[in-house]
Amino acid sequence: MDRARFETLLAAYGADRNRWPEEERAEADAFLERHRADLDEELKAAQEIDALLSHAVATPELGGLSASILAAAPRRSEGFDRRAWLALAACAVFGVVLGYGGGLLAPAPIEDDSYFAMAFEAPMAGDEG
Amino acid sequence: MIDPDAELVRNAGAGDARAADALVRRHLPKMIGLARRMLNDGAEAEDVAQEVFLRVWREAPRWKPGAAKFETWMHRVALNLCYDRLRRRREKSDPDAGLYVADHRPMPTEQWLARQREARVHTALAGLPERQRAALVLVHFQELSNIAAAEMLGISVEALESLLARGRRTLKAALADVAADLIGDAGGVSSV
Repeated sequence: MDRARFETLLAAYGADRNRWPEEERAEADAFLERHRADLDEELKAAQEIDALLSHAVATPELGGLSASILAAAPRRSEGFDRRAWLALAACAVFGVVLGYGGGLLAPAPIEDDSYFAMAFEAPMAGDEG
Repeated sequence: MIDPDAELVRNAGAGDARAADALVRRHLPKMIGLARRMLNDGAEAEDVAQEVFLRVWREAPRWKPGAAKFETWMHRVALNLCYDRLRRRREKSDPDAGLYVADHRPMPTEQWLARQREARVHTALAGLPERQRAALVLVHFQELSNIAAAEMLGISVEALESLLARGRRTLKAALADVAADLIGDAGGVSSV
């Protein structure tokens, strides 16, 4: 790390090196150890801006807002209803398929009328005599 | 990359009320903080935060952990909503929008002074050019990594660092008349 890079980081991220890019912190610390006396003024200027920024707190009162946000969150029951509808739809489709398939598996209807004719024409037991 | 929110988001999307509550507790203050510092208006900041979460609830059932962390996605949504509101303000050219409104509730003197200082810094922050303000908010206050912030702003890390440095310098100049008081109140500067 050279002085230019150190000064760029200081100007961008401030004096607190915990805010600096992690991958450059160790090198920056080593650089600072070697050149602390030369960098005092820049460090102080950066700390002053950090102090100014520390006043821009934003402490919201979350109670009512949290409640209204959570009221709009997805509910498990809605998920169940959706699944129930899917299950019902699946059952309906299955029923239709079963009915259609069952029809195909049933014995073919007897279309030959001769069976009926024979049934009426054949002499019944007890008719004789 | 492990997303610390992935499980909460999945469970919240499936209707788990405790997961939704945990997500709100974890992220709502950050979303309000971002919007408050971008817009300098508490009520608008709450509206933005609420809108962010409405989108969270809509996206959660189909959220798939990917390249971006969920928190980064939330920041992007919040920032875009802030940009929309800032643009609408410019179009309406409302001179009072985003100006600090004095808090007249009775409070101890120290607390009142703290509010005044806070308001002064927020106003100075609001006076920064939009890009400088967004860079400072994302990196300094939201503590996003420089890579995530640069990506969100659609710029290089180098350009982000330049925005940050200019933002900090401009802020210092804007607060020059009260800087000594503000710095003293923050505990001054210490050796690092």
